[in-house]
Amino acid sequence: MKFKHIWTVFKKEVKDISRDKRTLLISIVVPMVIIPLLNSFVGGGMEKLQKDINENVTVALSDKSNAPDIKNLVLNDIIADNKSIRLIDTPNASEALKQDKVRLILDIDKDFKSKIDSGKPFDISISYDKSRTKSEGSIWIVNDAISKFNKKILKERMNQLGKSEEFLEPARTKEINVADETKTSTSMLAMFLPIIIVILMTVGGVPAATDLMAGEKERNTLEPLLTTKPGRVSILLGKYFTVTLFSFITVIASVVGLIIGYILKPSSLNMGTGQHLTGFFIPLPALLISILLAIALGMTFAGIQVALSTYARSFKEAQVYLSFLMIAAMVPAYANFFTQPSDIPMYYFFIPIINTISAFKIVLGGSINYFYLIIAFVSSAIHVMIALGAAVYMFSKEKVLFRS
Amino acid sequence: MVNVDKLTKEFGKSKAVDSISFEIKKGEVFGLLGENGAGKTTTLRMLATMLKPTSGAAYINGININKDPQAARFCIGILFGGETGLYDRLTVYENISYFGELNDMDKNTIKRRIEELAKAFEMEGYINKKASKLSKGMKQKVAFARAIAHDPEVMFFDEPTSGLDVSAARNVHDFILECKKKGKTILFSSHTMSEVEKLCDRVGVIHKGKLIDIGSIAEFKRKYDNESFEEIFIRLVGGKYEV
Ligand SMILES: Nc1ncnc2c1ncn2[C@@H]1O[C@H](COP(=O)(O)OP(=O)(O)OP(=O)(O)O)[C@@H](O)[C@H]1O
Ligand SMILES: [Mg+2]
Repeated sequence: MKFKHIWTVFKKEVKDISRDKRTLLISIVVPMVIIPLLNSFVGGGMEKLQKDINENVTVALSDKSNAPDIKNLVLNDIIADNKSIRLIDTPNASEALKQDKVRLILDIDKDFKSKIDSGKPFDISISYDKSRTKSEGSIWIVNDAISKFNKKILKERMNQLGKSEEFLEPARTKEINVADETKTSTSMLAMFLPIIIVILMTVGGVPAATDLMAGEKERNTLEPLLTTKPGRVSILLGKYFTVTLFSFITVIASVVGLIIGYILKPSSLNMGTGQHLTGFFIPLPALLISILLAIALGMTFAGIQVALSTYARSFKEAQVYLSFLMIAAMVPAYANFFTQPSDIPMYYFFIPIINTISAFKIVLGGSINYFYLIIAFVSSAIHVMIALGAAVYMFSKEKVLFRS
Repeated sequence: MVNVDKLTKEFGKSKAVDSISFEIKKGEVFGLLGENGAGKTTTLRMLATMLKPTSGAAYINGININKDPQAARFCIGILFGGETGLYDRLTVYENISYFGELNDMDKNTIKRRIEELAKAFEMEGYINKKASKLSKGMKQKVAFARAIAHDPEVMFFDEPTSGLDVSAARNVHDFILECKKKGKTILFSSHTMSEVEKLCDRVGVIHKGKLIDIGSIAEFKRKYDNESFEEIFIRLVGGKYEV
């Protein structure tokens, strides 16, 4: 193994790969453009949807209960104080619901007046269309208005009995959020960013890995290459570092994409959660360990990708294997999506991929535990060695290299 | 100079190459003639240190391929198969200089050498063009130039004309003869009698991994008392196709 040989192979591979437009597109342009686009699209869309759901609730009375006194009840007693609910007059309510002209249909007991007077409940049924997000999402708003109406009636009844409203409320609950402002606002970032980074890392090295090993076999360049002076390990390492480099370029491109998105539209980083990102602070050692962990993860993926691509019989086969790897990496990435940074158990920091995601989470989520970070780092270093070992093993196996 | 001593390669239980021994003198063209699956490629791959022999040894310019494969590789140039195997996104210059660099040549030497080769193979017109933009004939010349960029003393050709049309095959033959003229030691495998007859000083007939006979074409003809080398070959490998 000679550094000069590794460097020669690395230089050539980087030059070769970076002349491939497809690779550049996948590794650099796509993450840089797609991520901010996706964020602002999904994010903006979700914000708009939420606003629409909350603000334009249209209801109609069922044909049966479409009578002046009921209309009066709804307009003056139930929705009077709620500006977001509108009563739409329609001769055929169910048709209107089907055609999305109204979100809900209220069917109200004709005898509501006498029932209220005699202290009996009357029925209001709310029909909605489960296939429409907005329809189902509006129910709670109407329910809210109805319970306000109920409260009003109750208050009148209690007054008649000479008792105060409080009589009906033995216990009162109140929720207090103890997390400080920064912590809540970054926790969304802590959920998304690690996953995005991990997925992009698996994606970034793919074109390079397929091209460098399987592609070399398929184009018949491997045999002449293997008969040049450098040893197998030098050739392998040159290729391996190229794949690693491209994983990183992708991650960097996407972080640049995130930043561009943030500059163009600051709310894009919230991904539609409506939370606003305030400044947060990562201590230097934690930041350094995070960067090292990211590098280690990239190297682990590169090792596995090179091994798989070497094993593959053809370019196509390599692409299939590497797609499987991408899916395999996404599973743990999403599996602990909802785990809160402070709830992550220690053993997570030993498992490949999960350890890095967990570490990113605790760092971004502001509950840094250096002991855990060091475990993650040591285990990551071991994973790097294992993956590289697998690549070296594959590259030295005659059965794999010469399958003809 | 190449010395092969009881070289054997097993893949699992089957012996692809079974204890073959031969010698190629300096400046000699030695042909390895055999049918499909006879073990030609496996033999050449072992000599080029791509495969590790199961047993036996070989010496290239006196260097034991098992003991110092790296030094052995430095002495050889290969042209395997009819496909040229260039890096499409690299220019002709870059393709050749990559192999030069890998073989520890310095930048200036590489530059001079490529100029020399460009002239010899008449590649000056497209030396800075990407390999993907070249015609088949041009690619072939680049592959020749790359194989001898580091001026190896020993050349291995494994069925270099398979799948090529007549004029491309002719180019390969001319290249082999050119190498011979320069005093290179050449090992050349083929299953085509006519090209073996045309190019080789001596021939080894390989069948099912075993080297059945060695000699010059003239020696073969005398020994088997037959003017047709093709008939001799068929008789040697079992005569299935005999009429
Ligand atoms: N990597 C390998 N693994 C297992 N068996 C192999 C391998 N390479 C070659 N063989 C077997 O070894 C035998 C010799 O193969 P080899 O490729 O050396 O023949 P060849 O003379 O070059 O034939 P061809 O004219 O078809 O190229 C064959 O039976 C082949 O199936
Ligand atoms: Mg062969």
